[in-house]
Parts: sequence; structure tokens; C-alpha cells
Amino acid sequence: MSVLRELRKLVLGETWVLPLGVAALLAASLILRAVAPDLWEDAGGFLLLGGVVGLLAVSAGSASRRRSG
Amino acid sequence: MQWILTALGATAAAGLELLEALAIILAVGASRRWRDALLGAGAAVVACLAVAAALGPALLAQASGDPLRVIVGVLLLLFGLEWLRKGVLRLAGRRARSSSAAEYDETRSELEDDPLPPPGRPDWAGRIVAFKGVLLEGIEVVLIVSALGARPGGLAPALVGTTIALVLVVGLGVWARRPLSRVPETELKCGVGVVLTTFGTFFCAEGLGVDWPGGDLALLYVGAVVAAVAAVQVAALARPAARVKA
Repeated sequence: MSVLRELRKLVLGETWVLPLGVAALLAASLILRAVAPDLWEDAGGFLLLGGVVGLLAVSAGSASRRRSG
Repeated sequence: MQWILTALGATAAAGLELLEALAIILAVGASRRWRDALLGAGAAVVACLAVAAALGPALLAQASGDPLRVIVGVLLLLFGLEWLRKGVLRLAGRRARSSSAAEYDETRSELEDDPLPPPGRPDWAGRIVAFKGVLLEGIEVVLIVSALGARPGGLAPALVGTTIALVLVVGLGVWARRPLSRVPETELKCGVGVVLTTFGTFFCAEGLGVDWPGGDLALLYVGAVVAAVAAVQVAALARPAARVKA
């Protein structure tokens, strides 16, 4: 069981923040692409990049607060 | 551009994981018997090759074109962001630094309590520790290299990078016979996190129909933004090393 737990950690990471955040980013991207296809084609990459770095900030910040607390 | 970055990313990611696997093999070999350490590691390599043989064709059979880019992008984002998150916390002093030398010491002390069986009898404790350690590090290599290699034109640089890493790490193991404590693993892992996150963002967006200004050059400015945000976050979270929790 410990090997399975380690394998889950390898794929999804140590916290649920990142997999859930990536899923939310993907869903938001699909919605935006359907609602505003022209905007998405031109600026979608930068919007996704903003979401990715925001997710990094949230995940590292929350892990840091847990370790401080 | 993509070829070189893919090869570099695969070399660094595979090299760092293989360094950790090497530390475990060296610890088992030095504290127990080399034969059992190599048998356990060899069995894990066979298992990893089986996973690679199953994963690659399955990934390519299920999807192609844009859906494949999105799947590869999501996988790379999951790996890259996790490596970056840990790297930021380590560089900020909020988490113990990554060290193969520490892993070597931990594995040796883990095996100390298990008596060594008489000569000629299999040392299952040593074999299992070597197998488990190499399997877990090896599966991570397989997953990252499969994700980097699954996109069109990505297989060759991913395999070249992995082969270079394998040759370097095996050569290092034969030459040094113990893990090197001077390799800046934390900084290198953070760099790999930047590369994997950059590729993940690029492919995800491409797969969803984004037209990146500058084409492949976008990899450079996306990577610069990711690296800058990580550096800012390290500075924001930094605190004195004396208060670090392991």
C-alpha cells in the first residue's frame, strides 16, 4: 500500500491544491474558448500563464503557512 | 529550440531522479551486499521498462494532435508545478534541501537493524529496499520522459537526454562509489520545475487552440515569467535557515 501511496504522490503531488487547480484552469480555459474564441486564440496563452503562476503562488504560500502554523 | 529544451529538460529531470536511485543502490551495496543491491535494482529497471512500454503506445493510441498536446501539457504542469512548489519552499528555507547524500545515510540506517543473512542466502531486506527505491524514482523518470516524448518530434530529444543522464549517473556511481554532496540538487530541481511548467503551459495552450506570438520563441518568455515568479516567491517566503522544519 505504501508503494501505491508513493505512486499517487508521484503523479498528483503531495497536496490536492495543484491537481484541483490544474483541473480548474483547464475547465476555465475550455469555457473561455467556447465563449470568446477570438480573444482566446490571441490572449489565451497569457491568461493560462497567469493562472499557472497564480496557482504556483497559492500552492507554495499555503504550504508555507501550514509549516509555520 | 524545442529539441534542445526537451533534451535539456529530460537530462536534468532524469539525472536528478537517477541520482536519488543511485544513492539508494550505493547505500544497500555498501552496507549489505552488492549482488543483492544490483538484483533489486535490476528487477526495478525491468518493471520500469514494462511501464514505459505500456504507457507510451497507450498514450499515443488514445489521443493525437491537439488532445494529445493537452494531455501532455496537463501531465507536465502537474510534475513541473510540484517540483517548483517544493523548490520554492526549499530555497526559501521553509523545507529541508534535497540531498542524495542524506538519502544515502537514511537508507543505511534503515537497514542497520536488519541482520545480514549468512553467505549464499538471499538478502531480501536489501533487495526490497533497492527495488522499491529504484522503482519509485524510475517511474517518475518514465512518466516525465513519456510526457516530454509523447508530443510530435519529442521522442528523440527526450530519449537522447535520458541516455545522457543515465551514462553520467552510472559513470558517477562507478567512479565515486558514494553520492556527491556538492551537487546543487535543490537549485537544479527548481530549474527542471521551470522547464516542465513552461512546456506544460505552452502545450496546454497550443492544444486548446492558442496562437502563441513568436511561435516556439514563446517558450523563452513563458519560461522567463515562470522563473521570475518563482524567484519573487522565494524572496517573499525566505527566512533564516535556523528555523527550518524538515
